[in-house]
Amino acid sequence: MPRRHLIIGGGTAGMNAMRTIREEEREPSEITLVSAEKPYSRMVLPYYLDRSIAEQHVFTTSAALLAQWKVKTHVGRRAAALDTKANVCTLDDGSKVEYDDCLIATGSSAVRAPVPGADGANVHSFWTLDECRGVIASVTPGSHVVMIGAGFISFTILNSILALGAKLTIVEVAPRILPRMIDDAGAEVIEEWLRAHGVTIRTNVKVTKIEDARGKKRVKFASGGDLVCDVVIMATGIKTNLEWLKDSGVRMNRGIIVDDHLRSNVPNVYAAGDVAEGRDLVSGQPALHAIEPTAQEHGRVVGANMAGKDVAYKGSLIINIVEVCHLDAASFGAWDDAKADTVVGAKRDRSAYRKYLFTGDRLTGAIIIGRSGDVWTTNDVGMLKGLVQTGVRLGRFKDYLKAHPFDVKTAYIASGTAGTLLPETVLGRPAKAPGETPVAV
Amino acid sequence: MKVLKITPERCTGCLRCEIACSYVQVGAFQPAKSVIRVSPFEGHTSYAPYTCTQCAEGWCMTACPVGAITINAAGAKDVLDDRCVGCKLCTIACPYGTVFYDASTRKAFKCNLCGGDPACVHACPTAAIEYEEVATRDWLHDFAAERASHVLATNGGRR
Repeated sequence: MPRRHLIIGGGTAGMNAMRTIREEEREPSEITLVSAEKPYSRMVLPYYLDRSIAEQHVFTTSAALLAQWKVKTHVGRRAAALDTKANVCTLDDGSKVEYDDCLIATGSSAVRAPVPGADGANVHSFWTLDECRGVIASVTPGSHVVMIGAGFISFTILNSILALGAKLTIVEVAPRILPRMIDDAGAEVIEEWLRAHGVTIRTNVKVTKIEDARGKKRVKFASGGDLVCDVVIMATGIKTNLEWLKDSGVRMNRGIIVDDHLRSNVPNVYAAGDVAEGRDLVSGQPALHAIEPTAQEHGRVVGANMAGKDVAYKGSLIINIVEVCHLDAASFGAWDDAKADTVVGAKRDRSAYRKYLFTGDRLTGAIIIGRSGDVWTTNDVGMLKGLVQTGVRLGRFKDYLKAHPFDVKTAYIASGTAGTLLPETVLGRPAKAPGETPVAV
Repeated sequence: MKVLKITPERCTGCLRCEIACSYVQVGAFQPAKSVIRVSPFEGHTSYAPYTCTQCAEGWCMTACPVGAITINAAGAKDVLDDRCVGCKLCTIACPYGTVFYDASTRKAFKCNLCGGDPACVHACPTAAIEYEEVATRDWLHDFAAERASHVLATNGGRR
């Protein structure tokens, strides 16, 4: 039984792994955490940005709780190299940590588009707590903010920027917004909604340079039409933090290739979260899912396996939801599968849009857009997730759903989705409440 | 654990459960804020209430990034308002569609079994909703499958 567990990365995956080790283990073990930052939740940074919560609220643990879990910590340190033959991790200060098994959960970092001026003053990324603090210090009521990139990250902070009283312009090189989350028709619904709510959107424009302009910033485009603003936020993508593993012998593709136990090719090295290329629930194929629920499930499965359980993971479901100016947009599974049998429903006057993608008589992907205040929108968001997650056979209710795309619940209930779900758990046992973790040490 | 046992055949669609629920949950007689929801079947000729099963996985609870969903004394998954930031991850993680978002408070809300004394059970005049020590199950499946079949048989699923 591995006695010394090393957790590299204190994000969602790492925190869930440590907690699950303590929940599952029969005998006390040693846990060491290496985390570049004090653990916090990236998901809630937008709410700190607009000051609806205090900074304290973003942290997912404290020194006291880690001490209670008997975790040895190296906070503020990064892993620099992994020797998988000697089972030793070298940190960026040269110190070494020995382990019996280890979890790589080093997450991702923001990348900026390679344009001159991208590293200038008042040009920010929004990914880490430090970057969030940077944006907070720059944006004041009346500021003009230009966000470069109309992807998921931009959209998670859009409400916050507006709540701070700033004027917002979003610029995107692609012909449309949210290219990796919503289809063309859905993107059009959201764009229309945002324009009606005072957000300026420019698509199909390529930024060539960001200059200082007498205390302001000037964003230049290949097609002309400069924008002068106070703050630039670059939300131009993320990349996995894996460079430090290049000589480790751990096999990587786009991420670390893992089996159904989230083990890499090195049997005592696991990977979880953004850096793990694990099974996609719908396609069954390896995929990188840089989303919170995947990090959480990966972390728990790894924690259980590190504690000596034998937990196989069914795969992760790609799910995203974002609310902009009280319009909800969500997508699930294979929402962009060109081979699927597809049906679309729209109520343009209510900015409501649905797209369902079927493979045979199973729902394998879905898109839903609707006003946050519409009662059935919120019900249907969850039910669509349930239909895709279970892959329940819809039989004759597939035609029903195609004929009535705004009546999800009849097809959901009548096809026995809830009954299929009830016995399902990620770890083969009921989940424990946060704070209920028994410590065996 | 005591659960909400639903007998859909007894439901008359009176919506008293929704009214009582919203009153206890948010202090207003407002079915839109109820966490138990009565669904019509067969073109509004029969009805059934649908709510959280308090499932073993607790997809909402495990998904919450700030530990704002816990298990209360009644064994129900319960949202802690002072922890919830309103990120909606629980609403998309719940595969039953029974976690909601209140735009006025910017918090998630869901069935917490009223802490062990569910108002919907008291309000239901036909005992379609009971609070009993039984294993939970998919109470609505057969009822809904049969009623939806009538709809499919009469118009082929098309309006």
